[in-house]
Amino acid sequence: MKSWTYILLKRDLLIAFRRSATYITPLIFFLIVITFFPLALGPQEKLLSSLAPGVIWIAALLASLLAVETIFNEDFRDGTLDSFFISLEPTFILVFVKVFIHWLITGLPLLLASCVAALVLYLPFESVSAMILSLILGTFFMSLLGALGAALSLGKSAILSAVIVLPFSIPTLLMGTSVIASAINNQEYTGFLMIMGGMLAIGIPAICLLTVEALLLSYD
Amino acid sequence: MGSPPLFYRWSSKALVWLGVSSIITLSLGLFMGIGLSPADYKQGDVYRIIYIHVPSAIMGESIFIFMALCGFINIIWRAKISGMLLKAAAPIGMSFVLLVLTTGSIWGKPTWGTWWVWDARLTSTLILFFIYAALIGLHSTIEDKIKADRAVSILAIVGVAIIPVIKKSVDWWQTLHQPSTFKLTSAPSMSPEMYQPLLICVIGFYLVFAFILTLNLRNEILERESSKKWVKEVIGNQS
Amino acid sequence: MSLRFSYVKLFGKIALSMLPYLKVENLSCFRSDKALFQDLKFDVLPGQNLEILGSNGSGKTTLLRILLGLLKPDAGSIFWLDDQQNYNNYRTFSCFYQGHQLAVKNLLTVAENIQMTKASKNIDIEAISKCISRVGLIDPHEYASNLSVGQRKRISIARWLLDFHKIYFIDEPFSALDDEATQLIQDLILDLNSKGSSFVITGHRSSGIEATHINI
Repeated sequence: MKSWTYILLKRDLLIAFRRSATYITPLIFFLIVITFFPLALGPQEKLLSSLAPGVIWIAALLASLLAVETIFNEDFRDGTLDSFFISLEPTFILVFVKVFIHWLITGLPLLLASCVAALVLYLPFESVSAMILSLILGTFFMSLLGALGAALSLGKSAILSAVIVLPFSIPTLLMGTSVIASAINNQEYTGFLMIMGGMLAIGIPAICLLTVEALLLSYD
Repeated sequence: MGSPPLFYRWSSKALVWLGVSSIITLSLGLFMGIGLSPADYKQGDVYRIIYIHVPSAIMGESIFIFMALCGFINIIWRAKISGMLLKAAAPIGMSFVLLVLTTGSIWGKPTWGTWWVWDARLTSTLILFFIYAALIGLHSTIEDKIKADRAVSILAIVGVAIIPVIKKSVDWWQTLHQPSTFKLTSAPSMSPEMYQPLLICVIGFYLVFAFILTLNLRNEILERESSKKWVKEVIGNQS
Repeated sequence: MSLRFSYVKLFGKIALSMLPYLKVENLSCFRSDKALFQDLKFDVLPGQNLEILGSNGSGKTTLLRILLGLLKPDAGSIFWLDDQQNYNNYRTFSCFYQGHQLAVKNLLTVAENIQMTKASKNIDIEAISKCISRVGLIDPHEYASNLSVGQRKRISIARWLLDFHKIYFIDEPFSALDDEATQLIQDLILDLNSKGSSFVITGHRSSGIEATHINI
C-alpha cells in the first residue's frame, strides 16, 4: 500500500467520524424506509417475510445513493481534489480509495442495520448470511456507480446523480434480491454471488478509469 | 465533414435525398404491410402494428449503440462532431423507445388482455428508456456543451456495457419468479408476404433516423456556432 | 491576445545552477476558437520566480493547470528536467500546487491540516510545529473551522515549508491579504529561493517579488 493511500484513508475517516452525520444519516434513512413498508402494507408476518428481500435491497440502494454526493463534492469545492490530482499517482487508485472510504462510511453500517431489518421484517434466519454476502458485494458496486454519478454531476443536485445511477443499478438489485430469495427457498445462490463478484471485478478498473475522465472534465 | 460550414452546405442537399427516400420507403413498407400482406390466422389484423413496433424496437437499440460509438470516439479522439452526433441522436432514440412501449401496450391489450406485463423484454426496454432519460438529463444540466458531450459520452459507454447485463439479469429474474403465462411470440416463421414489408419498414425507419439526425445536427451546429460569421450569413439568407 | 515579455532585471542574486527545472515551448491554448494564449515560451530556473500576470478570465489558472498536466494544451510542449537534463514525468518531479481554494478542512486541526498533505506516513511533529510558528499561527490543535480567512491562508502557506519542492505553483497568493501576511509570503519566497526552489505564481499585477513576468 502506498503511503498516500494510508494518509487519505486516515484523513477521510477522521473527518467522517468528526461529522457523525456522514455515517448516521444513511443508516437512519435505511431504517426509516424499512419501517415504512409494514406501516404501508400491514403487519402480516407472511406478507412481510415474502417482501423482505426486495424491501431491504431497495432501502439499501436508496440509502447508499443518498450519501453519494459526499464522495467528491467537498474535496472538489475546497480545492483538495486539485492537489490530489496533481501530486498523487495513479489517479484511478485515488478514485478507488475514495470509493472504498465511501463504502466503509455508508455500506458497512448498512450491513449492521440490515440485520435489524431482517429481524423486524421476519426474514427467515437461514437467509441472513446470504443477505449479508449479497449486500457486501452490492453496496460496493453501488458505491462505484455512485462515484461515477457524483463525478459526472459534480457541483450539481444530488437528485441528478441518483437519476443517472439508478437505471444502472438494476442488475445489482435483481441479483441481490435473487440471492436472498434463493436462500429462502433453499436453492443454490452462489451463482448469483459469483455474477455480482464478476461485475465488481470488471467494474472496479473500468468505472474507476471513467470516473477519472469524468473528474477531469470539471477542470476544463 | 470536418468543418461546420462545409457540412452545413453539404447536408442541405443530403437532407432532400434522405427525406424523399425515407418517405418513399416507409410508405411502400407500410402500404405493403397494412394493405397487401395477409391477416394473421390467430391475431387477425391486430398484428399489423408489428410494422411500427418491431422497427422502432430495432432503432431504439441500434441508436444506443450508435451513441456509444460516438461517445467512444469523442472520449478517445476528442472529435467535436461525434459529441454533437451523440447529442443529436439521443432524443430520437428516446422517442423510438417510447414508440415501442406505447405500440407494445396497444398491441398487448387485445392480444394478452392487459396493457402491461412484467415480461423480460418489456422490462429491459423500459430500463433502456430510463437510461436514455438519464443521458438527456445529464446533458441538459451541464452548461458547457463540449463538457456535456464528454460527460454523456462516458455515461453512454457505461450504458452500452451494462445493457447486456441488464437484459441477462432480467431474464434470470423472470425464470426465478414464475414465468408469466404470456409469452411473446418467439420469432414466428413469418410468411414472406409478412416478412418483406417488415424489412422495408426497418430500412425506412433507418432512413427516418438519418433524416432527423441530420436535421438535429444542423440545428446543433447553428446553435453552437451562432457567433460565427457564416451562421449569420446563412440565417440572413433564409429570413 | 498579444503577448509581451518584460524581463525584470535580476540583481544581487547568485543562481545555484542555470539549468532550468521546467522548459516550456510554444505553448498555446484556445477556448472556443479564441486564443487564451499563444506561443508561450519560458524557462523556470532554479531559485528564480515566474509571475504570470493577467486580468480575470485571461487564462492564468488554465495555464497553471496545463503546466501541471490536468489539461492538455492545444499546441506546444512542456519539459521537466532533472540535474542531468533528462526529461522527467512531472509527477515524479517534486512540485507543489496550491489552487485558488486553500484545501483547508474545517474538521481537521491546524496540525492535521498541514501534515495531511505530506505524502509519507512518518509524521514529524517537531517539523510541523516549526512550520506553524513560522507562519505565525499559535495553537496547532485548534480546529480550522474556528480560524479566520487570513489564518486559514496561513495554514496553506505552512504547507510550503514541510517538504522541499523544486517548483511551487501558487494561484494568486497575494490576493486578499493584509500587509503583514504579504510581507510573510515575500519573506518565505525569498527564503525558499535561496534553497533552490522556484515559484510560479499568478496575479493581477506585479507583486514586487523578484521574478520574470509574463502577461497573458
